Amino acid sequence: MVEAAAAVTRGHFMSKASDNKISAALATATYTLLGGISPAPVQAQEEPGWDYNTSLLFYGEDNDRVQDLSVSVLATRTFLDDRMLTLGLTVDALTGATPHGGLQQTVAQTFTRPSGNAVFTTPANTLPLDDSFRDTRVAVSANWQQPLGRLYQLSYGGSASKEYDYTHLGVNAKLSRDFNNRNTTVSAGLAFSADSIDAVGGAPVSLSSMLDVGDLSNRLGGQDKDIVDVVLGVTQVVSRNLVVQANYSFSDSSGYLNDPYKIVSIVDAVTGDVVPRTPPPGVSGPSHEYVFEGRPDTRTKHSFYGQAKYYMGGKVLDASYRYMTDDWDIDSHTVDLRLRWPLGESRYLEPHLRFYTQTEANFYQIGLVNGEPLPAFASNDYRLGDFDAITAGLKYGWETKNGNEMSVRLELYQQRGNIPADRQFGNQVGLVQYPDLDAVIAQFSYRFGR
Amino acid sequence: MKILAAIGMLLLMAGCSSMGVEAWDRDILAKDEMQLTTDALEAATDDHIYFSKEASSGGRGFGGGGCGCN
Repeated sequence: MVEAAAAVTRGHFMSKASDNKISAALATATYTLLGGISPAPVQAQEEPGWDYNTSLLFYGEDNDRVQDLSVSVLATRTFLDDRMLTLGLTVDALTGATPHGGLQQTVAQTFTRPSGNAVFTTPANTLPLDDSFRDTRVAVSANWQQPLGRLYQLSYGGSASKEYDYTHLGVNAKLSRDFNNRNTTVSAGLAFSADSIDAVGGAPVSLSSMLDVGDLSNRLGGQDKDIVDVVLGVTQVVSRNLVVQANYSFSDSSGYLNDPYKIVSIVDAVTGDVVPRTPPPGVSGPSHEYVFEGRPDTRTKHSFYGQAKYYMGGKVLDASYRYMTDDWDIDSHTVDLRLRWPLGESRYLEPHLRFYTQTEANFYQIGLVNGEPLPAFASNDYRLGDFDAITAGLKYGWETKNGNEMSVRLELYQQRGNIPADRQFGNQVGLVQYPDLDAVIAQFSYRFGR
Repeated sequence: MKILAAIGMLLLMAGCSSMGVEAWDRDILAKDEMQLTTDALEAATDDHIYFSKEASSGGRGFGGGGCGCN
């Protein structure tokens, strides 16, 4: 958010002054919310006014998996003395289905829905998907940025988001100082999130069995998750054409870190098949043995991020790399490359390539063997598995006649996972596969000032 | 680890002090397309997508909140 706010200022549009009472009232209200002091009145003709960055996004996965339609607005008000207010709003509408961790079998499988009050059946030879979510997410943010003296800059803000079963509240602050003729900027940021999970049917106890319809005895009440983030960064101007940035980030999560809707199958020690069960007469319930996933209640991540922007006779190369490691034994590498290629004065093309790879969490399990003691933690969430991902996209941007900016981008995202052969046995070999993913990202953006 | 990081930071800053440009040479660096984040909304969108689909987040800025359960 802090970074985003900074970018918006730099990328602001030349706009005519306008004395808008609603905007002024909104700004004043937000200062009050942020605990700031309202700025002294300034002459209208010196007010740069509001700039708006809006976008419409479609994200769609193949095989009827997750679809998301999202509308976002980022409104930035700049003031004299480089002070700036940024307000953000995003509304997402999610539908579709997602793999819940159950293994594909040669027979049909019946699962109890997350609500605990119905069942659904996955046909034989089909990857089980949970299709019961339909969610709307609303996220808001506010950020205030101002210089402190000649060399320091302070920004702080808050964010909140609400889904049917999840609430996020966060605050953040960042202080930066320029050195070396403003060629070097050192910054330190701190963010704190207090999230609460109100899972459909209640969050299940880690590694407890999926129960029959109507039995909610293994469900907990509302659960919490706290996240502390620290970001330390250095930005350096190297030459007239090159600027680089290096960040170290520390993130500590604690609380209920399970995905309450993910399960792990209990498999036979010889055949590898999911162990069948029979619900009591007259009761609907699971056709096989499953347990809800269980993750540790803490997670500590360290990220090292480097970025370079290089100007090459009108074209701009944006290259970044991130290494992340955590105490769940997940290591990941991300390389992101963009080349902005101008087409005349007011249009450009921007090809984008992103490469990602991660190792699996140390408690990632495709199934738990029947009769063996339960481990402390287990999850078959595909996002904690060993996989590679590639994003390839193209963006086209242009300036409108009245000086505003529009862009469209189309990207394809592909995940290909790997379950090591020695993790599969019996009938699992050739049947159980990582749930590969193909998705399309289409976004239209319009930036305008007043 | 922390001491090493601090020493690294100091060395980096010492090295950086000989780099850079004068204020009147910032014409290119001042361009919109040369900012570290050129499109804040696109960056936020991407961060949320990858946060929801992968086990990593953050790096450029804060990791951010939200469920990312789907």
